[in-house]
Amino acid sequence: MGEAIVVTSGKGGVGKTTTTANLGTALALQGKKVCLIDTDIGLRNLDVVLGLENRIIYDLVDVVEGRCRVNQALVKDKRFEDRLFLLPAAQTADKLAVSPEQMKELVTELKREYDYILIDCPAGIEQGYQNAVAGADRAIVVTTPEISAVRDADRIIGLLEQEEGIEPPKLIINRIKRHLMESGEALDVNEITTHLSIDLLGIVMDDENVISSSNKGEPVVLNPANRAATGYRNIARRILGESVPLMSMEEQKKGFLGKLKSLFSK
Amino acid sequence: MTQVTRKQLVMIKGTKSGLVLRLDDQCSYSELMSELEQKVREEALEGTTEIQLHLGNRYCTDEQVKELINCVQKSPHLRVSKVQSDVIRVEECNRLIKESQSETFVGIVRSGQVVQAEGDLVIIGDVNPNGKAIANGNIFVLGRLKGIAHAGAGGNRDAVIAASWLEATHLMIADKVETMTDELTILSERPEMECAYIHRSGFIAIDRLQELRILRPYLSTFKGGS
Repeated sequence: MGEAIVVTSGKGGVGKTTTTANLGTALALQGKKVCLIDTDIGLRNLDVVLGLENRIIYDLVDVVEGRCRVNQALVKDKRFEDRLFLLPAAQTADKLAVSPEQMKELVTELKREYDYILIDCPAGIEQGYQNAVAGADRAIVVTTPEISAVRDADRIIGLLEQEEGIEPPKLIINRIKRHLMESGEALDVNEITTHLSIDLLGIVMDDENVISSSNKGEPVVLNPANRAATGYRNIARRILGESVPLMSMEEQKKGFLGKLKSLFSK
Repeated sequence: MTQVTRKQLVMIKGTKSGLVLRLDDQCSYSELMSELEQKVREEALEGTTEIQLHLGNRYCTDEQVKELINCVQKSPHLRVSKVQSDVIRVEECNRLIKESQSETFVGIVRSGQVVQAEGDLVIIGDVNPNGKAIANGNIFVLGRLKGIAHAGAGGNRDAVIAASWLEATHLMIADKVETMTDELTILSERPEMECAYIHRSGFIAIDRLQELRILRPYLSTFKGGS
């Protein structure tokens, strides 16, 4: 019996879809059988980020309304043999086309076959959010070091804490720009976690390659040398129960002078 | 047939602070009214006299009380300063009990959430921005108050808001609203526990928590000690 994890944030544009795609890919890389569900009906794009856009035949609404079986709608990612699948959202319907009960039923069915179900939640706290959360066992809240994103994360955590049958949510701080955090212009990791008072699942550095690889339909996590990829891989290992120390932001900073300094301070 | 033995329904007593009208609590309301009207007419007074109405064990609705006051004040020399009754309704009694109690919330009041109490409210945790704590009594936050707090929501202007870290965006006490201006923010950034209250000037003021014992001594319900 697998586990269903919803990836949510409240605010739009903080990286829910990118996080879902990369965590799903990272878990598949670890040998787990993963199914991703896009619940952003009407504004789907998880398929684009994964590069599966042109292979969609049926979608979530087709499944729920009985026009096809679940297995017919699942799109297989050929890079991972039989380990990564996507259930795409419909683009022609709206969020009201699916009810939380139907979602719950669907997720329960998928949990029998997959180790992890990652549910990509739309922005907002309306029907789309309620659909996404309905079948989840765990929740991941994505935020960025901006006050507006942290405010919305706080709101969504409040709602998740009232949800029954879901574990206390965990936090991912995305798009960390090191120089802004160090100069104090952006909120720092500590400030955000104490403000929200939930467990930190991991941090992801801001990286331009995330955008270019999303455009190519290849999740950045496939490139192990990338610093954002390291963040995602660490988070995936923590989801699997490993204890991985938090990536230090200092390390990458050391230039020549920094190295010299640390040499003398020993 | 004479009614010599008839009981007086309205007794008048003189005290230092004026006259006390003790109204009988066994007779019918209409009997009482007619006798009161008569008594008021009989009184030959000069100037204005303060009157206290004692209703005894009679329960009067708000309208009846108003009617009694109007009846007395028909005389230009009388003014009702106080109405006293020995009975209250069960509902009112329950409300008073609730208002005197304190409720505890353990957790974080997050954005969009509202925690409400009939009496005092003790929050063990934080109140985050856009989170709201409302109480008819006082609010005590054993954490960071970063959102909105409304004490004395029922109109009690003596209510206070106290927090370990008072960093609220809005403070409200009874009908007063204070957005945290720069000045107040500077005050509240001192590393001390603080409290907000309505100052004599009518504005919300912030002071050290320790000053409460002087500002609002009646908050203490503790009896005894050495």
